[in-house]
Amino acid sequence: MAVIKVPKPPQSAFDKNRPVSALLRNQILHLHEVERKFPPSRHSGIYINEIKTEGEAADYIRKVTARLHPEGAKRVRFDIAAAGQAKAKSRSKPKGKKS
Amino acid sequence: MESQTPKTRSIKLPMPPGLDNLKHIVVLMMENRSFDHMLGSLKAQDPRIDGLTGNESNLDTTGATIKVQPLAEFQSQLDPDPDHHFPAVDLQIFNGDNSNPRVATMQGFVKSYFNQQHDVPHSAKILYYFPPEKLPVLSTLATEFAVFNGWFSSIPGPTVCNRAFAHYGTSFGQVSMNIFYVLEPYKSIYERMISASPAHTAKIYYYDQASSTIEIVNLLQHQPQLFGTYEQFLDDCSKGTLPDYSFVEPNYSDHDGDNGEEVASDQHPDHNVQAGEIFIASVYNAIKQNPALWESTALLIVYDEHGGIYDHVPPPACMPDGFVAQPNDTGTGRAFAFDRLGIRVPAVLVSPWVPKGTVVSGRTFEHASIPATVTKFFLGDYDQRSPREKAADTFLDLLSLPVMRTDGPDFQTD
Repeated sequence: MAVIKVPKPPQSAFDKNRPVSALLRNQILHLHEVERKFPPSRHSGIYINEIKTEGEAADYIRKVTARLHPEGAKRVRFDIAAAGQAKAKSRSKPKGKKS
Repeated sequence: MESQTPKTRSIKLPMPPGLDNLKHIVVLMMENRSFDHMLGSLKAQDPRIDGLTGNESNLDTTGATIKVQPLAEFQSQLDPDPDHHFPAVDLQIFNGDNSNPRVATMQGFVKSYFNQQHDVPHSAKILYYFPPEKLPVLSTLATEFAVFNGWFSSIPGPTVCNRAFAHYGTSFGQVSMNIFYVLEPYKSIYERMISASPAHTAKIYYYDQASSTIEIVNLLQHQPQLFGTYEQFLDDCSKGTLPDYSFVEPNYSDHDGDNGEEVASDQHPDHNVQAGEIFIASVYNAIKQNPALWESTALLIVYDEHGGIYDHVPPPACMPDGFVAQPNDTGTGRAFAFDRLGIRVPAVLVSPWVPKGTVVSGRTFEHASIPATVTKFFLGDYDQRSPREKAADTFLDLLSLPVMRTDGPDFQTD
């Protein structure tokens, strides 16, 4: 079977200033429920009612998730060609190409 | 039906070769798209697929008939996010009929979307669907492997309660996005696997820490060892160290990552659908590019719920779940006994042991089918499960070929 080319989304697809969806809002609330059980020294310091955008949501989610699952921050070295060349090419675009 | 579990294979008939080779089940759960929206156009290619004829319609709020159209766009069309909380889905299914008994007509989608913006032309977009050429990954996998005509979300409601069915076989009475707590005696499929004797392995792979998981309060908080990142999933595929059961979550947000801009890949409106296509392809590629993994893995691609988007098939009745959501919780003025499924979603099973062009018809699946299948295959008899999960159909019988296929598609994503 011929190789099927899968088009990339345009640069304009990325918008970290998009308002948070109900899904992200609830994910934040769930994480906040867990964060409240941390000692104060381990709080994120982020007031969740001020989170308005996906980028801000991601910052908060990253901080709390890092406390719950620090192993998730470890970088894995792997052979991209063997593991699926899609990963490095598709999931990210270099910073600075779009505002 | 798959006929044996590993524990019993020595005393029953030989398993089909596909099941005998099966070592890994991988589930990729995407977000918020209906079957007709993503795959309904395939009916024109294969009439066995229960998709769209082009004549399906809803009335808009002026009384005009609005037909489905192949005009779905990758982004910026379903904005605002179509309402898919319990009361809105009730309207989409029953069109505001509050009689008893009432008939599911699937005539309330346009009306429901109109309620969000009071814009008549915009409300018609909830009936738009993708032609197959716009979704080369999902459409190709659906036609090359097995597509399910009858895979329904577990609840006519939003993400969190539906995903709970994939993890626990129940939502413990929840029909919303609220936090739920696991009730004894039920355990997640991951906890069942790791506590079995002999122990099995299981993992939830979230995309990265900034995207994280939806399964926070019960599992990430208490069982962090069950989690990995998507990068670790790719590494495990490459090294052949994938667990027996893997659940993969897409990226839920646009955010800055270590490698630059990370585009959301969950396909949740209004995220870009092409980014999700690439993500699906990357999961498929990661498995297929390791030959030993490819021949021993079944990959299920499924969506958690319909996201408020049109589908023409009325959700069927189902085994009650043992819980009842009260009228204040459903928001409809009615209690809900978990005796009816949610709206139909895309589901595709990929394996080189699945006959090409399989269309699964005349059977009903839902997200409780996921833990039911994993439990049946890896653990065998396991009683502490919800009534819904015990009644759920399982899908590994679809790995029925006597000889492995070598003709699977390849996707190039760069």
